[in-house]
Formats: sequence, C-alpha cells, structure tokens
Amino acid sequence: MIWRDIWREGYFLLRKKSVLLLLLSALGLSVFSVWTGSQEVAAQQATIARLLEADALDRADVLQQQNDYGGVAYYSFHLTYAPPSPLAFAALGARDVYPWKHRIRMLALEGQIYESDTGNPELAQAGRIDFAFVISVLAPVFIILLLHDLRASERAAGRDDLLNVTAHSRRALWPLRAGIIVALLSGVLLLPFWFGAFAHSVPCWQVATVTLVCICYMALIALLCYWVSGWLYPAPVLASMLLGIWLLTTYIIPALGNEAIEHSIDGPLGGDILMVQREAVNGAWELPYSHTMDEFVKTHPKWADYTEMSALFEWKWYFAFHQVGDQVAAPLSKRYREVGKKKYQMAGVVAWLSPATLLQRTLTRLAQTDAIAAREYEQQVRDFHEQLRHFYYPLLFTSPPFHRDVFKARPTFEPIEYTK
Amino acid sequence: MMFRIWLIAKDEWRYWRRSHLAMTVLMIAVVLAIASVVVTFSTVSLAAHQRAHLQSQAEQKFVEQPDRHPHRMVHYGHYLFRTPPPLGRLDPGVDAYTGTAIFLEGHRQNGATFSGQQHSAGLNWLSALSPAFVMQILTPLLLIVMGFGVMTREREAGTFDFLKIQGVSPLMLTIGKGVALAGAGFAVLIPVAVGALITLFYGSSILSVSAFVFSYALYVGFWCALVLLVSTLSRSHVGSFSALIIVWVVTCLVLPRIATNTAVVTVHSPSKLETDFAVLQKLREMGDGHNANDPAFKALKDNLLAKYNVDSVDELPVNFKGIVAQKSEADLTDVLNDFAEQKMEEGVAQAKVARQFGWLSPAIAIQTASMKLAGTDLENYQRFLREAEAVRFAFVQSLNKLHAEGLSYADDVNKYQSHETLQKAKVSANNWQVLSDFHFVPLPAAERFAGSIQALLQLFVLWLVVSIGVVLAGRRQ
Repeated sequence: MIWRDIWREGYFLLRKKSVLLLLLSALGLSVFSVWTGSQEVAAQQATIARLLEADALDRADVLQQQNDYGGVAYYSFHLTYAPPSPLAFAALGARDVYPWKHRIRMLALEGQIYESDTGNPELAQAGRIDFAFVISVLAPVFIILLLHDLRASERAAGRDDLLNVTAHSRRALWPLRAGIIVALLSGVLLLPFWFGAFAHSVPCWQVATVTLVCICYMALIALLCYWVSGWLYPAPVLASMLLGIWLLTTYIIPALGNEAIEHSIDGPLGGDILMVQREAVNGAWELPYSHTMDEFVKTHPKWADYTEMSALFEWKWYFAFHQVGDQVAAPLSKRYREVGKKKYQMAGVVAWLSPATLLQRTLTRLAQTDAIAAREYEQQVRDFHEQLRHFYYPLLFTSPPFHRDVFKARPTFEPIEYTK
Repeated sequence: MMFRIWLIAKDEWRYWRRSHLAMTVLMIAVVLAIASVVVTFSTVSLAAHQRAHLQSQAEQKFVEQPDRHPHRMVHYGHYLFRTPPPLGRLDPGVDAYTGTAIFLEGHRQNGATFSGQQHSAGLNWLSALSPAFVMQILTPLLLIVMGFGVMTREREAGTFDFLKIQGVSPLMLTIGKGVALAGAGFAVLIPVAVGALITLFYGSSILSVSAFVFSYALYVGFWCALVLLVSTLSRSHVGSFSALIIVWVVTCLVLPRIATNTAVVTVHSPSKLETDFAVLQKLREMGDGHNANDPAFKALKDNLLAKYNVDSVDELPVNFKGIVAQKSEADLTDVLNDFAEQKMEEGVAQAKVARQFGWLSPAIAIQTASMKLAGTDLENYQRFLREAEAVRFAFVQSLNKLHAEGLSYADDVNKYQSHETLQKAKVSANNWQVLSDFHFVPLPAAERFAGSIQALLQLFVLWLVVSIGVVLAGRRQ
C-alpha cells in the first residue's frame, strides 16, 4: 500500500511546475559545482606536476654549478607542496587562502614560510561555488522553498480536506510528501557528487560519510520546515520565518562570531616576526663569531667542538646565524601559530550555532582542505627544513671533501599521502 | 500629485508600523548596519594604525644599521606595509585576502605575506560583518520581506479598484509604494553614508565618497524597482515572495560564485612559483650578479676598460663589482617586471571575466563599484605591488651605486683577508638615508571613479530596465 502512496504523491509533486523547476536547478548547480571543482583540482595537480619537473631540473643545475657544500645549500631551492585530496573537488575549502606550495631553502625558515603563493585575491574574496557550498548554504533554501507551503498552499487552494480524505493514511500524508521531496532533492544534489567521487577514486568510506552527513543535514532542515509548515500562517510569513532562521544561522551568527573571536584574542603581528627574525640574522654580521656560535651550540651541542673559524667567512657560520635567527623568532612564531589555531578552535564552538558552518567544517576536514590541513602542511615544511639542516650541518661543520654523490642522501620532501 | 504620492507612501509606512514582521526585519537591518559600520571602522582603523607604526619602525631600523658593506644592506632589505585606504573602513574588499607586508631585497621580488584571512577564525567564509555585506546582501532581503506584497496586497484585498475610482492612477500608486520602499532602504543606507562622510576626515575625497554613497543608493533603487515589478506582475503574494527570494538567492549568493568559477576555468593564470621558475630559466642565460667573473659580464668589462682606457679592472676609477651589481640588478628587474606584469594582467583578466557577470547580477556590479571606489579592489592592490617594486629597485640601485663609487675594487675583493680589510670594505652608516617615506595611497579619486564607471553603468542599466518594466506593468493594470 505504501508504494502506491509514494507513487501517487510523487506524481502529484512532479506535476507541479515549480517543484520540477527547483529540482532541475538544484541538479544544475550540483553538476556545475562538481564539474568546476574537478577542473580546479585538475589544475592544481597539473601545477604540481610542472613545478616538480622544473624543481628537479633547477636543483640539478645548481649542483653542477657549485663546488662546495655551502654553495649548494645556499642556492638550492626545494619544492614543498600539499596535493589536493581525492575529496577536494567537493570541498575546495581554504586552499585559495592558505598556501599549499613553497620553495624552501636552507636560510632562516621564518623569512620564507609566510610567503603565500595563492590565487587571485578578488576571486578568493568573492568565494567559490563547490559541492560543500551547494549543500550547506543552498540546499536549505531549496528545502524551504519546497516545503514551507506544503500545507499552506493546499489550504489556500482548498484541496486540504480532499487530500486528507483520499489519502491511504491521513497521518502519513504530510510526512510522506515531505519525505518524497527531500529524497528527490537529496538525490539530485548527491548524484553529481557520486559521479565525481567515482572519477576521483574517493575512498568508499568517505563517500558514505559525506552522503550520510549531507542526508542528516538536509533531514534536519526538512524537519524544521515540516514543523513550521504546520503553523497556521500564510505561506510568505512561514517562508520569511524559515529564511530568517536560515539567514541568522548561516550568515549572521558566523559573521558576529568571527568579529567576537578576532577581538577576544591578542597575539603578535605577523610583521613583528619578520622584523625580529631579520634583525637577528643581519645583526650577526657585526657580532663576534662566538656570539652566534654560542647560541647555535645551545640547540646543537653536537657541533660545540667545530665552531672555530679558519677564515673570516665560512658557510657554517653563515648558516649558524640563520639558525639563530629562527631561534630568536621562535617564541613569537609559536605564539602566532597558537593564536591562529585557537581562533579556529573557538570557531568550532560557534559552528554549533550554525549548522551550515558545521557542515562546511566537517566536509573540508574530510577533504583535508581546511585551516587544520593548511597548518599540518606548514608543520611538514618546518619538519622538512629541519631535515635539510640535519643533512647539511655535518657537511658544513666537519668540511669533508666535496663529492656530488653525497647529495643522493639529501632529504626530499614527501608530500602527504591520502588513504585510498 | 506629489502630495498623493506622499500620502500613499505614508500609508504604506503606517501599514509597516503595525506589522511585527516588517518592523522586526527593519530594526535588525538598521542595527546590523550600524554595528557593521562601527566594527569595521574600528577594525580597519586599528590595522591602519598598526601597519603605519610597523612602517615607520622598518624605516627607522634601516637607517639605524651600522657601517656595512653596501651589498649587506641590499640583503638586509626593507619592509613595506600596506595601509588600507580611507573608504576601506566601509568596504575592506580584498584587504584580508592579500598580504599586508612585503619584504624588499636585491635580486628578488617577494610576494606579500601575512594575509588577515589566513590568521582569522575562518567563520567569515560566507559573510563578514562589513557595511558592504549588509548593504549588498542583506538590504535586498529586507526590501523583499517588506515589499513583496505592496501591490499584491491591494489587489488581493480588492482595495486597488477603490483607489482607481478615486483617481489614483496605477502608476502613481506604484511610485508611492516605491517611495515608501526606498525609505526603508535608505534607513539602512544612512549609517553607511554617515560612515562614508566620516572617512572624509581620514583623507578620502568628496568625489569618491559621493560616488560611493550614490552607487549604493542606485543599488537600493534597483531592488525597490524589482520588488515593485514582481509584486505588480504576480497574481498572488505567495508567488511574488517566492519569485523575489529566488532572484535574491541567484543574484546575490549564487551568481558571484559562479562568476568566480567561470573566471578561474576560462582564464588560466600560472602560480607565482611557476613564474619564478620561468624567471630562473631566463636568468641562467643572463649571468649571476654576485660573480663579476661570470662570462656574461665580459662585454661590460671590455666596454668599461675601453672607456677609461685602462688594462684591468683594478685600475678602473669605479668598483667593477658595484658596476656589475648595478647592471645585473637592472637587467634582472626588467625580466622580473616583464613576468610580474604578465601575471598581474592575467589576474585582471580573470577579475574582468567575473565582473562581466555584473550585467546579470546587480550584487556583482555593486561589489565591483564599491571596491573600486573604496580603492580595495585587485587593481589597487596591484598598484601597491608596483609601488613596492619601484621602492625596491630605487633603494637597491642606490646601494649598488654606493658600492661602485664609495668602495674601491681592491678593498672589495680583499675584504675577507683580515679583520682590518673587512673593516675597510664598509661604507659609513650615514649612507643609509636612501629610503623615502612610504605611505601607500590608492589611485587618485578621479581614476578610481573612472574605473568604476562600467560597474555603475551595469547598475544603472539594470535599474533602468526594471524601472521601465514597472512603468509598463503599471499601465497595464
């Protein structure tokens, strides 16, 4: 019996031009977002491939030109990057805000790591349309438009009683209608995503999680709409109320929360880190060698016996003062990062008042395109730089004869690997 | 006639004053507008103050440096901080998405670092509590909620015919309702306009302030006209409301993002790192400015030797290493600028694709107009980058000139012989007064206005089309 009801109500719904039109627009938006998201991910991958090639050539070139370890260390750049995850096409996240690629060398890292080679700022400000945006922001609007006059329109058209009388079960009629609408909407929104996920070989568990999360989110919105649609108000008043709730939770609460968080935490300015680091590095030229070396040995006691200078300029001293420059800036830099992290955590609390933000954060976390992923990448760069120092310090301090073969053991940057 | 229009408008306001819904949304919108002006004003002013302070600190540090080899100072470098323009206090535009500090040094064009957005809580991924957002996105919604029924209500209640009999023409009624609706829009615009007037004290020009306020008034005018049109054409207030909400979602939320995606997909712009590699490739062919023996500088050497009629570089009256540094910096900068210009042009090309969508969406048009007039758009940011490059080149070259003329070749090549020679290979700290005071100002007001004309035209055309629609629909009644 239930199938007959579903069929009947589904038929009624799709006969309505407005419903069909809304469902088609939802499908169109979802297709567009998945398609352009895939294009963006493909462009990022192509960029990485080109960069890798140029990077290898460049480093090989430097190695041929230089005749001492210090020279190689000074002139060699190393590409670091975070490739997009398989799921990135659906949630592009903050990858246009945070850098995901750098060229790093042995100099003080604090002077290099804040370089951000990101895209067009005007476009970043306008924002992108991706699957995450379609689901978290637009899907509720579709649901509101489809459900708010669920009963009000039938009341206004005088069909309310007729429908109730002819339905198989009176109680099940409205939930059934609402259910069919939400199921159809979920279907048209998720279908392009499933295609995209298949094309990008997204792991099954992620596809299942995204699907589940999206359906739960839409069901929640639908429940709210269904509940409100039962109130005895004219349709525009119901819709105004629903849209008001949507606007408040999606746009206004996050914007207010953002301001509140920005004003509640004080931290060092980025400019301060740069200035402190620069003074420390450049001031070293005028300081006695022992000053730099003493500071250096504090963190690298292993080289305490190798700090004697045999000439007025030696690479080991040069790189030692770069190390010291980072050490001097480290507390500021650490605090700066902690503040950034804390802000994102506090935003997580505000997100509980904003389902759309919560969903966006969930999806970008799954896709590893959020601020957390960006900070993990930054940490990876820091670790890699540390490895480079470990590789070069023995060569600089003990000065073995120069062999190019030694560089076969030079660390190479290993990008994050995503689970398949 | 005027009196009647006024009466109609007044009557509409009486209706709104009795409606909880209308009063609530109007109150919320006005409060948000005031809050956004206060908050954004103070945030941006604080940022402006901090950056100006860092700027003077950077300049002071530079001149305080001890006696040094000039090339040390080329690498010591200099920092520039971008201060927001006065009207940026109302529309911060791309400010948060661009770096605020840039490090200037020899041989390299660094990118700007530390964008505000990277260090934010990230909750503003959809909206920021800025006057620009309140005016561009929320005000249309306010007008929709207040006005979707202005015409349909009269029809549904049957009062429309009474009015007609009393000699109120449909057009007059529409105009009256339009005046009432515009009143609501301007109620939200007032705090923003006041904020704009205050920026006059921070150095904005009368032209940009008036054009800024005018563009928003035009935008409000567009939405009033659209609400009237849809309300006039709709058979029921349900239909009117749904249609307006759909138009709002499409033009204010969806199209700006579709414009971005389209721009990125249609115009390819390689990343800065890729450009850096291309520059490197080019430079390898040109010679290393640190190495005066590089064969690439042989012609330069021969010319100099011939010019001064001497046999070796030691006999030259100038320091050959300094000459090489000057020459290679100039050549290098040409290459760097070529690539940088190309990259900036690609950025503008992308933005232009997105801005064309302003013919479809007034929200995009007002965004462009507002950012351009405020001086917070992409082009003004690029102006900062260009100015920074000019500062970089000037100070590096004046240090290189000092290198060539203030330090002998013999002292220079023998600097690492002993502590004494190292001391000799330095120039006095008095020479570090090579920086000029830097304070970033956006394009002149007239040019900013000229840049915003296309967007203003988009707004005007959209307003005109809809207004003609209103008049035609009014006649048909």
